[in-house]
Amino acid sequence: MKILKSWLKDYIKIDFDNFDIANKLSISGTEVESIASFLDSNVVVGEIKDIKKHPNADRLRIATVYDGENDRTVVCGAPNIEIGQIVPLAKVGAKLGDMEIKKSEIRGIESEGMLCAEDELDLGDDHAGIMILPNEYKVGEPLNKYIESDAVFELEITPNRGDCLSHIGIAREIGALLDVSVSRTPIALEMNGTNIKDKLSIEITDEQLCPQYMARIIEDIKIGPSPKWLQERLSKLGLKPINNIVDVTNYIMFDLGQPLHAFDAEKIEGKEIVIRKGKVNETITTLDGVERKVSDDILITDVKKTIAIAGVMGGQNSEITESTTTIILESAEFNRKNIRKTAKKLGLVTEASYRFERGIDSSSVEYALNKAAKLINEIAGGQILSGVAASGKRPLNKTLDIPHNKINNFVGVSLPESEINHLLKKLDFNIKNNTCIVPLWRHDIEIWQDLAEEVARMYGYGKIKPLAIVKEKAPKKSEYFYKEALKDELVSCGFIEVLNYPYLSERDIKSIGLNTKKLLEIANPIQPENKFLRNSLTPGLIKSVAKNPAIDPVLLFEIGKVFSKDNETSKLGIIASGKNSDKLIKKAIDKLSIRFKINQKDLQILALSQQEMLKFKVRKPVAQIIEVDLDMIIRKMKASDADLNIKISNKKITYRPISKFPVVARDLAFIVDKDLVFGKIEEAIQETSEFVNRVELFDEFASDKFGVNKKNLAYHIYLQHPEKTMTDKEAEEIIKKIITDIESKFNAKLRK
Amino acid sequence: MQTGTLHPITQFVRELVKIFESLGFEVFEGPEVDNEWYNFDALNVPSDHPARDVQDTFWLKDGRLLRTHTSQSQVRYTEKRKPPIKVIIPGKCYRNEATDSRHETTFMQLEGLYIDKDVKIGHLLWTIEYFLKKIYGDTVEVRFRPHHYPFVEPGMDVDIKYQGKWLEVLGSGMVHPKVLRNMKIDPDKYSGFAFGLGIDRLVMLKYGIEDIRQFYSSDLKFIKQF
Repeated sequence: MKILKSWLKDYIKIDFDNFDIANKLSISGTEVESIASFLDSNVVVGEIKDIKKHPNADRLRIATVYDGENDRTVVCGAPNIEIGQIVPLAKVGAKLGDMEIKKSEIRGIESEGMLCAEDELDLGDDHAGIMILPNEYKVGEPLNKYIESDAVFELEITPNRGDCLSHIGIAREIGALLDVSVSRTPIALEMNGTNIKDKLSIEITDEQLCPQYMARIIEDIKIGPSPKWLQERLSKLGLKPINNIVDVTNYIMFDLGQPLHAFDAEKIEGKEIVIRKGKVNETITTLDGVERKVSDDILITDVKKTIAIAGVMGGQNSEITESTTTIILESAEFNRKNIRKTAKKLGLVTEASYRFERGIDSSSVEYALNKAAKLINEIAGGQILSGVAASGKRPLNKTLDIPHNKINNFVGVSLPESEINHLLKKLDFNIKNNTCIVPLWRHDIEIWQDLAEEVARMYGYGKIKPLAIVKEKAPKKSEYFYKEALKDELVSCGFIEVLNYPYLSERDIKSIGLNTKKLLEIANPIQPENKFLRNSLTPGLIKSVAKNPAIDPVLLFEIGKVFSKDNETSKLGIIASGKNSDKLIKKAIDKLSIRFKINQKDLQILALSQQEMLKFKVRKPVAQIIEVDLDMIIRKMKASDADLNIKISNKKITYRPISKFPVVARDLAFIVDKDLVFGKIEEAIQETSEFVNRVELFDEFASDKFGVNKKNLAYHIYLQHPEKTMTDKEAEEIIKKIITDIESKFNAKLRK
Repeated sequence: MQTGTLHPITQFVRELVKIFESLGFEVFEGPEVDNEWYNFDALNVPSDHPARDVQDTFWLKDGRLLRTHTSQSQVRYTEKRKPPIKVIIPGKCYRNEATDSRHETTFMQLEGLYIDKDVKIGHLLWTIEYFLKKIYGDTVEVRFRPHHYPFVEPGMDVDIKYQGKWLEVLGSGMVHPKVLRNMKIDPDKYSGFAFGLGIDRLVMLKYGIEDIRQFYSSDLKFIKQF
């Protein structure tokens, strides 16, 4: 939600720093996502070095302005500039409102920027001349370093804090944080003689749906554009000004959090507004021109027709138009759950419904109505009829005991009672003895733990002392640990773990000729082709092979859940494809069965034909695959002496982003001392150049033909540039450097 | 001869398991398909409350759902046990979100839950600082910010300072009394804390990985680096 600094100043009378307050708000629970200043950093302090006449225009002059780095030529029409002045210079690229400053030719002279008047920088109304800055401002610095302009805070308001969806709400939070009081001006209305009673009455059929409803009538108004200040406040929040009446209702909503609605009084039939639940198959065309079906929603009706869907959107039949002269202004509170249900059902979440479903300030329904009426009266003229047409009443405040000891104990502090009370008072809780009266805008406060949170966040989490927890006994080893031991064994056989999405695509289903009857189906899939949940790991694993055409052999496994309509089970899937894959998978199976006492026949290898593989676009000749029930494996493992200690790799990892540019592969073999660990050379090769993407050992062989106590280590080395295709020459240089480095560091010799 | 590779997510979860095992936490893994009760209602997120909208859910045709968070297993695990409860719950979660380099429909979370007599906010602060320091080093700066999660009161987000900026890494809080009751635990006798962290984002942070989708790409150029 957007909050305007200048608007906050209606309520906060002291000055505050944007970044300081953003930090305070964030660490007290109102997260500030960004602060945008209206004064662009490309508006800098400039110095006028020279002024010449414009050769082609009498009223224009050509100024040479120093921007801290360069002299800029700027064409200027203002009469008040003089050499030596310090002035605001909007450089090329600066944004002033919707306008971006560009290099442009003005009557044959190129201008590289603009000297600015106050109003152009949104710093005042003066357009008479260029703003003259004090000499102390350092030339070249952004002007916003010296002059504060208005700022917009973008806030994340959590769903429990409907009260913060307004300027006064945020002002209250800031007031509590800075320990300053926030007050609103009482509203004095000038009303004329006619009493509203003769013209309008309100009936609420069920106060559960609508606890309070109030209306005022304003006659003889003149619809027109809003004044500039009002339009500006709305535009800065990103809203489009419409007319003085609609703008005021929006303005009050963003000001006080109370959504309002204005009806054209002449379009209301009869003298009564009834708030009732809708009946089956009623329809209403809302302001957006859509005819909507309503049923058990809360409706606002006159004696003949429905004029609004309460709390969501008004009806077209009572809309304010240019010819409207009398309005009925509505301010009300509706049941939060009903509004939520209606907005969801209609798919129509409006600024109003958003606030009603989160809870408005139940104590300000009348204040908001009066503030709006007064403002309308000021800017659209007319007379406010005396009195308010109203029904229902303001709900009672909740009262909670303050369990000081419990709060201290729970938070882990020992604050005196008076301190706890003070922290709550800052948030407008009214303290009486050991109880507090909860303000009517805080719908989220229900239990003492809620009070504990208010105390803790106002006190500051940073000041609460951390308390260590201890291990009383060794936790028991659950299935998780068996799964990890199994993974370790597979990794030691050269297999790589993958994680796949749990969806089966339509193509997968076709490829394997699967019957979808037993599959679990997603009702709202993000992509329609991925609506079924996988019942097997196999399609995913085959596709994983397909994604790695350059690697041979591909040895993969996945442990994950598979689903059917009546159960969810864990599976282990293993796949091997390419060179020697049959031997490699067999070796892994042998190892697993010995290590964990698993019967070989429980680990049946299925050979996939080339044809089956081609359905998944795998061009490798053949693949072997195993998919078994994980619970079965774990049952067997429990009878073995599996090592259940968690192993953590201490491999030094330097991650290199995956580039979309081709990899250059080179093989290098070195003759080294027999006891040298192959990983050392691997690491050293990695460190030679940032373009070494990956190093893989593919042969290790000791023999006297290499010399006494010598062995041969052979590596695949993959080089890749993140931003371009690497040339042969560049690759050669890196390879040369690797050879020199390895030979000198490890007493190694390149095997040619 | 050539060894294989564990997925980086597996490796990171192991680090966390090891740390929490040393503090006495068990490991539990709940179902990925569950009903609305465990995923939402039992956690004080009724359907008529706007807090429901925070998580975009994959609903199944049979009315169940793909769990949106591992918090779903809190009540499942606890309702059959008695305090003290000390458990971590790693697992895959799903959200119906458009994917980009920062968002995935499939991701890994790890939940932590500790319930006993007299568990205080201070214990939560200590535990979270303890494991973040184990992972990111003793000098890492940690801060707690109030945040709203309906299943805790108070709720907090936790930030660490990364390259000079505060970065949100996990959500946490004191288990809400309504949730304790749903676990069949008396909130007048016991209290506890819970936290949940997105593993994928923390792994990205640890290695400087720029795209969350890499984890589910089966791209061996990626996985073999770990």
